[in-house]
Amino acid sequence: MTRAAYHYSFDHEHLLSIEGLSPLDITHILDLADRYAEATRAGIRPDPVLKGKVVVNLFFENSTRTMSSFEIAARRLGADVISMPVAASSVKKGETLIDTAMTLNAMKPDALIVRHSASGGPKLLSRKVDCAVINAGDGTHQHPTQGLLDTLTIRRAKGRIEGLKVVICGDIAHSRVARSTTQALHLMGAEVHLCAPRTLLPSGTETWGAASATTDFDKALKGADIVMMLRLQLERMDGAFLPSRREYFSFFGLTKDRLALAKPDATVMHPGPMNRGIEIESAIADGEQSVITEQVEMGVAVREAVLHLLAGGRT
Amino acid sequence: MSLSIYNARLLDPASNLDEVGAIYVDRGKFKEISAGQTTPHEDAKASIDAGGLCLAPGLVDLRVKTGEPGIEQKETLATASRSAVAGGITSLVVMPDTKPVIDDMALVRFITERAKSSAAARIYPAGALTTGLKGEAMAEIGLMANSGAIIFTNGDLPVTNASILKRAMAYAGSLGATIMSRPDERALSGSGVMNAGKLAGRMGLSGIPVEAEWIGAMRDTVLAEATGCTLIMDQVSTTRTIEIAKAARARGATIFTTAAAHSFFFNELDVGDYLTYCKVNPPFRDEETRLGLIDALKRGEIDAVVSAHDPQPPEEKRLPFGEAAFGAAGLETVLPAMLSLVHDGPLSLLEALAPVTCRPADMLGLPQGRLAENAPADLILFDPGKPWLCEREHLRSRSTNSPFDGRRLQGRVLRTFVGGEEVFTHESIS
Repeated sequence: MTRAAYHYSFDHEHLLSIEGLSPLDITHILDLADRYAEATRAGIRPDPVLKGKVVVNLFFENSTRTMSSFEIAARRLGADVISMPVAASSVKKGETLIDTAMTLNAMKPDALIVRHSASGGPKLLSRKVDCAVINAGDGTHQHPTQGLLDTLTIRRAKGRIEGLKVVICGDIAHSRVARSTTQALHLMGAEVHLCAPRTLLPSGTETWGAASATTDFDKALKGADIVMMLRLQLERMDGAFLPSRREYFSFFGLTKDRLALAKPDATVMHPGPMNRGIEIESAIADGEQSVITEQVEMGVAVREAVLHLLAGGRT
Repeated sequence: MSLSIYNARLLDPASNLDEVGAIYVDRGKFKEISAGQTTPHEDAKASIDAGGLCLAPGLVDLRVKTGEPGIEQKETLATASRSAVAGGITSLVVMPDTKPVIDDMALVRFITERAKSSAAARIYPAGALTTGLKGEAMAEIGLMANSGAIIFTNGDLPVTNASILKRAMAYAGSLGATIMSRPDERALSGSGVMNAGKLAGRMGLSGIPVEAEWIGAMRDTVLAEATGCTLIMDQVSTTRTIEIAKAARARGATIFTTAAAHSFFFNELDVGDYLTYCKVNPPFRDEETRLGLIDALKRGEIDAVVSAHDPQPPEEKRLPFGEAAFGAAGLETVLPAMLSLVHDGPLSLLEALAPVTCRPADMLGLPQGRLAENAPADLILFDPGKPWLCEREHLRSRSTNSPFDGRRLQGRVLRTFVGGEEVFTHESIS
């Protein structure tokens, strides 16, 4: 009698985008992240799989949250972490990107975590270095670990992804989170509906895997299992893309009444940082249905899993 | 020095000639075009048996950027012309976007003089339409025209202020000067870096919408009609822009259109993984538009095809897509791009050659671009079927930012003559 052999290995060199990952890859990352999340909750120190490894945080755009999250994740796994916030200086950003990449590469790090204001920046950098590159957000393109942590948070809240109705509302056009999260959830079988004012709703969202794109938030909310609000840059609300903040809140703000249109047990999410009172009411952000702080917690767990897989030897 | 080239397939779009025959050149000009003749001319001091190769007029390219003066690390007149003649281009109009900008007669003369002493091809300077290309004040159009500026253009950044453009057109029109302008409403195209659409949305890149070109085209054609100025609409990238030009012509305006050779070859998908060599302006559009442009070319609705040669060194291209410079090196790939429309498309050889030879020459009132008695003997011998691999490092331009890098092309220039003098010989011959 023979046993069917099943073999899976995570064979990606970098994590630049959700595009290119298979549902199996995502499940693998989420399972590992789940174990890390449980270990942290139980107060158990994980195996130092990154002991002796050097992880460099290279942030060309300011971000305290994401940079700390990656830093904590890498430290938990025993890595030596160097965080370099490269301030947007008078030097042309792109020159800094390539030049910094070449310089860092010569120092042989094991992983580079990169945030850059230009879409495709980390991709360009990955062509020039020998180590793993993790995209921590590039322009309005991708933020893959955010997509993964959202997916993990949902899986933990609902016990599944497949068949869930997810509504993502906010500045879809300029959101790398919307792109990554939509792609990840779609790959895992969720039905993702995007909602935004017309000026912030790009064409072609079906190519990201979105089931629909609408400007009618109330309609989109009907029967939703998950409501994810996106941050709206305040400067976009003063007449350029939208008439005013109060008009935005009136049509797209998540209020108690509005949330009642979704399923009674709907889960509320936000990638942060929030504009309380503009895209989401404080009472909801802090309410029982919100998993916003759990998203932050899962962020560390997912980043531990990703670093483990890309820099810590493959499992 | 007289020269006879015989046993060649003579291709002359101007006279609709496509026959085996011979040409006879004396003192830089064609003296005889003899269809059917397969032996050398008896008076010729030198003769070449073309062995059945195609013989066509040298190409006339209305839009070439170099870096001379001031940005020589990108390209000089000498390197551009060397690349041009290797691609079969024997006449080039060079853009005024240099440092300094070509906006007065001394600079126009500088280009002409530098070209005479260093360039292998005929160089025609385009003058700046506005001082410093700033779009604010009219440049000395008349004086520059007298010094040899052949057209006037604001280059890559068309004049945004309609009132200034209208006056410049009225003034240039009264002098009989031609203005070349790229249709572009910059308030709409603003920060865009590739074709607006689904792909740009997914890649997180800001788009250049087709509406920017249409509105620009409408504005420019209305003003050309109102002022009576001859307008060359530079590098149209959609079929609707061609419709706008047609409508204006029907109302009596004198309007020509050009398109970049690469726009018949690539579509937006070629941007692929943020390939900055495919970052050009106007951008590669969608596939339907590309096919529409080929149809328009077949119908003769695009007057000229240009290389849109825009050399950019690695430091301008090895950047994230959004930050990289626009532009593609194109001098050596115009002919193969046009021939691809013969091999894989609907054009005949003569239809492919007309928009790069006699038609642009006619637009500028130049005598070359044709096989005709007493026309300058600018000619090429080419093998339309010869396959080759376009490799960046083998291009002769100083900057080799070619979107054709790594592409298999068909059709190669083997010999190029300017005024009867051989200026390029492919290594397979010499």
